[in-house]
Amino acid sequence: MSLPLEIIKKKRAEAINRIIGRGFLSTKRVYVGMATCEIAAGSKEVMNAFREAIQTGLTDVYLTQKGCAGRCNLEPTVEIVEEGKIPIKYGRVTREKVREIVERHLKKGEVIEEWVIK
Amino acid sequence: MNAMNTLPKYIVTLCDGPTCMHQRSKTLKAVIEEELKKRGLYETTSLVLSGCLGMCNKSPIVIVNPGYTIYGGVSPEDIPEIVEEHLVKGKPVARLAIEEDYLYNRFYRVFGDVAFFGQQMRIALRNCGIMDPESLDDYLSLRGYEALAKVLTDMSPAQVISEVKKSGLRGRGGAGFLTGLKWENTARQKSDEKFVICNADEGDPGAFMDRSTIEGDPHTVIEGMIIGGYAIGAHRGFVYIRAEYPLAIRRLRKAIDEARREGLLGTTILDSAFSFDIEIKLGAGAFVCGEETALIHSIEGRRGMPRPRPPYPSQKGLWGRPTLINNVETWANIPVIVLDGADWFTTIGTEKSKGTKVFALAGNVQNTGLVEVPMGTTLREIIYDIGGGIPDNKKFKAVQTGGPSGGCLPEQYLDTRVDYESLQAAGSIMGSGGMIVMDEGVCMVNIAKFFLEFTQNESCGKCTPCREGTKRMLEILQRITKGEGIEGDIEKLERLGTMISKASLCGLGQSAPNPVLSTLRHFRAEYEEHIKNKRCPAGTCVDLLSYTITDGCVGCGLCRKKCPVGAISGEPKQRHVIDQAACINCGQCYAACKFNAIQKS
Amino acid sequence: MKQMITIYVNDKAYQVESGQTIMQATDGIGFRIPRLCYHPKLSIEGACRVCIVEVEGARNYIASCSYPVNDGMRIYTNTVPLRRARRDIVELILDNHPDDCHTCERDGICELQRLAYSMGIRRRHFEGEKKNYEKDLSSISVIRDPNKCILCGRCVRLCSEVQHVNALGYANRGFQTVVMSAYDRPFSESVCTNCGQCINVCPTAAFVEKNYTQELFDKLNDSSVIKIAQVAPSVRAAIGEAFGIPPGQAFEREVAAALKKLGFTYVFDTQFGADLTIMEEASEFLERIQGNGVLPMVTSCSSAWMKYVEQFYPDLLPNVSTCKSPMSMLSAMAKTYFAEKIKIDPAKICVAAIMCCTAKKYEAARPELMVNGLPATDIVVTTREIAWMIRSAGIDFLHIEGEDFDAPLGLSSGAGAIFGVTGGVMEAAIRTAYELYTGETLIDIEVNAIRGFQGIKEGKVLMDGKEIRVAVVHGLGHVYQILDMVRNEPGRFHFIEIMGCPGGCIGGGGQPYAGSNSVPLDEEVLQKRAQALYGLDRERTFRRSHENPHVQKLYKEFLGRPLSSLSHKLLHTHYTPKEPRGIITREQTA
Repeated sequence: MSLPLEIIKKKRAEAINRIIGRGFLSTKRVYVGMATCEIAAGSKEVMNAFREAIQTGLTDVYLTQKGCAGRCNLEPTVEIVEEGKIPIKYGRVTREKVREIVERHLKKGEVIEEWVIK
Repeated sequence: MNAMNTLPKYIVTLCDGPTCMHQRSKTLKAVIEEELKKRGLYETTSLVLSGCLGMCNKSPIVIVNPGYTIYGGVSPEDIPEIVEEHLVKGKPVARLAIEEDYLYNRFYRVFGDVAFFGQQMRIALRNCGIMDPESLDDYLSLRGYEALAKVLTDMSPAQVISEVKKSGLRGRGGAGFLTGLKWENTARQKSDEKFVICNADEGDPGAFMDRSTIEGDPHTVIEGMIIGGYAIGAHRGFVYIRAEYPLAIRRLRKAIDEARREGLLGTTILDSAFSFDIEIKLGAGAFVCGEETALIHSIEGRRGMPRPRPPYPSQKGLWGRPTLINNVETWANIPVIVLDGADWFTTIGTEKSKGTKVFALAGNVQNTGLVEVPMGTTLREIIYDIGGGIPDNKKFKAVQTGGPSGGCLPEQYLDTRVDYESLQAAGSIMGSGGMIVMDEGVCMVNIAKFFLEFTQNESCGKCTPCREGTKRMLEILQRITKGEGIEGDIEKLERLGTMISKASLCGLGQSAPNPVLSTLRHFRAEYEEHIKNKRCPAGTCVDLLSYTITDGCVGCGLCRKKCPVGAISGEPKQRHVIDQAACINCGQCYAACKFNAIQKS
Repeated sequence: MKQMITIYVNDKAYQVESGQTIMQATDGIGFRIPRLCYHPKLSIEGACRVCIVEVEGARNYIASCSYPVNDGMRIYTNTVPLRRARRDIVELILDNHPDDCHTCERDGICELQRLAYSMGIRRRHFEGEKKNYEKDLSSISVIRDPNKCILCGRCVRLCSEVQHVNALGYANRGFQTVVMSAYDRPFSESVCTNCGQCINVCPTAAFVEKNYTQELFDKLNDSSVIKIAQVAPSVRAAIGEAFGIPPGQAFEREVAAALKKLGFTYVFDTQFGADLTIMEEASEFLERIQGNGVLPMVTSCSSAWMKYVEQFYPDLLPNVSTCKSPMSMLSAMAKTYFAEKIKIDPAKICVAAIMCCTAKKYEAARPELMVNGLPATDIVVTTREIAWMIRSAGIDFLHIEGEDFDAPLGLSSGAGAIFGVTGGVMEAAIRTAYELYTGETLIDIEVNAIRGFQGIKEGKVLMDGKEIRVAVVHGLGHVYQILDMVRNEPGRFHFIEIMGCPGGCIGGGGQPYAGSNSVPLDEEVLQKRAQALYGLDRERTFRRSHENPHVQKLYKEFLGRPLSSLSHKLLHTHYTPKEPRGIITREQTA
């Protein structure tokens, strides 16, 4: 019988493998805020827009939901994390903004600075 | 921070926490700036001073992002090397880098560069915003349930309690009782059964710390509760959460199911001898059910009414059994204390208030949101440095801490440190973490009335002072704001308020008069102005306003058309008049006039 | 072994037992901290905050009813700020209470009035909005007036803790908090058993009995009707208290005299009905133990208990004796046997029952108790109501010359008298059943095992070598225990007496209010009332129901024998299960 600490370490390794299996090692990871407050501000639409982008050909992106980071008046928020780069946090994201974020940032690597939370 | 027009290539974060060496980091900052300018990197590097980073024993701390390289014990002499090697050549300096993997760090890898977040310290909210709350895998990858495993592997219940005691953690629900002591008291009781409860009955208007925690990181609460159950010898836990938090409930339910499926909850957790399971109990949303004895009654299926203590829930709680009841934020701190250690935890905060506190910053402040800061941070730092100050160039008037029954503190209290004792001394309370900022346009009498209305409505109706007394206070305030205040009203408010706070059965009643008593203490003149001169200095008490038309009137007639009660008369191109008897003070004319010819007083 | 500790009250040291509350400890050393919601028989509520004291080191005032004493504790009971806070609390209660003391039923015997007086409230500081609810007049027995309710919660706790009926609860919040029946259904549709104990514990007039004194005065002044009174045993044991006499003195002949002065044509005695009940009930019991019927048999005299069993234990209705209560038996005899005797149309007879009980009002209205299409009992008034009528009619009760009850329904045995106290029905039944079964006279007739105020009492009687196991229960709160035993172990008992009120009828919901030196449901007062009835029993020439010559005559002239077909028609009844009402079922809401 294994000790709890050994079991949990094994579980963690398995969990990480599963996350990687879901595409975590993609070049860009996109986090969409999906707490009640974010949803009220329209994040479901934002999430759907990213999903549609992936369905229609956007690749090398790991899309996931996240809890509320607490920046209420700038919701919905979206983070784009790329290894070796400073994570980019977009505020007040809309379906329309997602289209541009996909085209400019995710596909071309251009940060849309005027929407970035600083 | 240097003004940046473009996104920085690197972010250099300097710890400027209250327990860190204040001076040295300031000196370091100057040295770094100097060096950056010298190397021509000043424009592409962001230099951030942060709140306490909890690595005080290795201070001063410098963090370079991206990559989250932590440099500890940095001296001014080390700076040129860091700049040259890391910022120019992109190679972290191994000699100075330290391996500090605290649980809260991950949040800063993502958010540390934004001032709003950088000045905070996220312990309870460490995972909120950086992981998928519906994924146990995500939580596990962030060392989730490792604290539980550690406890089950290496620690006896007594050791767990001793660690929590040593951490100095105090109840985050408001009263600030020492959590470890509560655990110890509950553990000491002999009983056939014991229970653990998570109080997620977040009832303060405008507060959403608990909801966010559960929605963003439900497993943390579960893990904390299991550890609590292990420490006191309980096998059943309840999360009492209000039914109007459907998403939080759904995520919590999912988390419980997943934890059970993975053997992290239920019988023989992680193949140990310990079993513990959690049920969710939905509350109907009564504010008073946040009071522990009322909450327990509600879980038992009875009316949520508090009962006198002692006996405390630790002695006789749910179904008469010893019960450990802690609030969401308290539970969320537990895994951190276990993994990162009480010794580390005690480096954060003040002497008597350890760790951090989450606030829901709201009201007339630039950046509204969830703020978690080390205890001892000043109100000014929260409102101005994190909150970005008051919008629209208005003046700060007061800040209310502690939810509807907290006190309102004026400008001279802005340097009050947020910890249990300091806030109490200033005439307010920590409460569960509401923080409402008010600017000069807010009438303090009106705000006191607003909060009292809330507590009166939410009074359970059991004890006389709270049920009857707050009603009478409210009636007096209603009179005052209508211009019907009379001599002696202030004294009556004080007399009732003092009695209610000293004689009420539970915390709700005891703190209900706080908004009135604190505003009487700090804004007495405003009350007197209402009573004696029938004037509302802030211009918000509708019944005390009067609108008059000045010489600036050109007789355009717009105000006459806008007036819903026909109180304005006048010939075209001549000065109009408002019939004061007919006027209902709605302010439509004031808003409509294009010539600023209507005066509000 | 109790540990003694030292506490300081107003700076003076006292030795008290540990483990007590501040109130208990100070009560024992000559203090009486003002109080309101506290009641010694009920759980601690801590709601009114009248009993607050100052304790050194405590930030807030401490409710003395709930806070335990500890060694070295320094308590202050009368500081100036504390007195003011206490006064203000009571004023706050008054400020939300109708200012109608002069016209209130409880004027002069109201706990709130007494308290306000002793707090020295001579003017008001905090007047404002008052609550405004409709009175609930739906119940035949109990009127609920939420405007007079001060939310002390005694009724709620009593109904739940002492009576286990739970007809009352709180609703709404804050200033809107109100005590009501489930879903605010009319009280008549609630699970209320009409026991009236809420009236007894209420400090104000938020609960009072439905008053029938005007109807009775109207009848008494109607020359076209024959006015018959009957008086329950417990009325005579307590009515003196309503005239300021300390508890414990029986006023038997005085009551008869006062009723005659009030204008009754005949004054009969419910105790005669009790003797008759014993004749029938003892016979029914003997039938049952000889194999004809369900055992154990349970008594059926208590009206509150009858509604309770119909609502909550309908499966046990076959166990309940079919005998009507003494009141209903006597009324039935008055409208048949007696009406024939005096050759009067029973429709012209008005039977008024003077009862210690509010539930008897409900019983009198039960359709199944009608006799030849007429209600057997026309009006029921309580001890309180009759005391008021006597006073109101200008009768000097304290100096009245006693008179006898009238024949042929006025003579009673000692067994009939003890009906009013818990265990009395059983004791009376044993006295008669023993003789009927064995043919021998029971010599030691005082059955001490089933006397006293324990919630559940058990006893055994040997009848011709056969062991008869009996149990006696009083207070509805204990009933579930015995009935669960009956369900699980039907053979454990043969005969069970159940009375709905604590102490039996002497503690009924219609008895005089507790005086200023006593608390409602005070066991000492109940003991004294019981002693008054036991005294009457001892003084009687006949102490066994079957020895009552008028009862014997009734059987000879009219009924024939116990359990005859005429007896069955007039003295027995049947029961129907009742849905626990006041609880809206899912089908009803759909």
